[in-house]
Amino acid sequence: MTRATKAWALLIALSAASTAFAASGFTGAALVVPVLALSGLKAHVILRDYLGLSVAPGWLRGFDLGLALLIVTFGTLALAAY
Amino acid sequence: MTGASPDAPRQLRASSLATREEKSKTHDEPSPREEKSKTYDEQPRNQLPGELLMWVLILSEIAVFGAGLIAFLAVRLTDPAGFAEAQSHLHRTGAAANTLVLVTSGWLAALAVKAAEAGQLRRLRLLLAPAILLGAVFLILKGSEYADLFAQGIGTETHAFYTFSFLLTGFHAAHVLAGMVLLALVGWLGTPKAVETGAAFWHMVDLVWVLLFPVVYLL
Repeated sequence: MTRATKAWALLIALSAASTAFAASGFTGAALVVPVLALSGLKAHVILRDYLGLSVAPGWLRGFDLGLALLIVTFGTLALAAY
Repeated sequence: MTGASPDAPRQLRASSLATREEKSKTHDEPSPREEKSKTYDEQPRNQLPGELLMWVLILSEIAVFGAGLIAFLAVRLTDPAGFAEAQSHLHRTGAAANTLVLVTSGWLAALAVKAAEAGQLRRLRLLLAPAILLGAVFLILKGSEYADLFAQGIGTETHAFYTFSFLLTGFHAAHVLAGMVLLALVGWLGTPKAVETGAAFWHMVDLVWVLLFPVVYLL
């Protein structure tokens, strides 16, 4: 199985998990935290395996850090609305 | 008279370099000489796969959509109940299906890059064709959601939620359309570099969607 195929399978699984959380009826932190964490993981997999940043670990860490800051901001604002 | 030899500046520079190298050794950092002797591929900026300009574009798009989503969430604080009611009119199932559509399309594009690198022109075109078709499926699902909202009399000025959601998802859909054209173009060209660049744009569209989808549709 190629790296891209493994990444696709992982992305499908992570998307299914997001849908399960969204359909669970959870609200507040029980919804926001896992859904955004799964979103961050999906972004990491796309960067690492689809966009090929696995060959540039320093750049991958940089993108991960930037995305983590963005997602934490999303989460803080989303939780403030509950 | 100073009595300094004409070689003094050179000796000073050599001494300075030696001192910096000594300091570097003690801190496990690459010395200036070691840094200079790195090969082209070892330089951080050259480790990025594909076109540097495509990475600039990817960063710019993440920044633009990220700012838009932060603005969306900030305005939501002024009317959480109104935003929740407005969100209930969106097609969540269709949007979740669109995540699978884009992820699968991205996978086909990634496989097409490998085919291009292997010189398999026919295979890369056979992979890019369904990738483009999945882009069309995405736009059809998105279009059906817009049509349904318009049929309910909902437009961009109905509520601040729709102003943002139409703007963000519409701008993203425009990128999907542009990506489909780009994939068709690089499939026609068939060179590894072109296919890699087109696929990178397509993955960027995918990346933006995985950030946009939960914020607009789920939270």
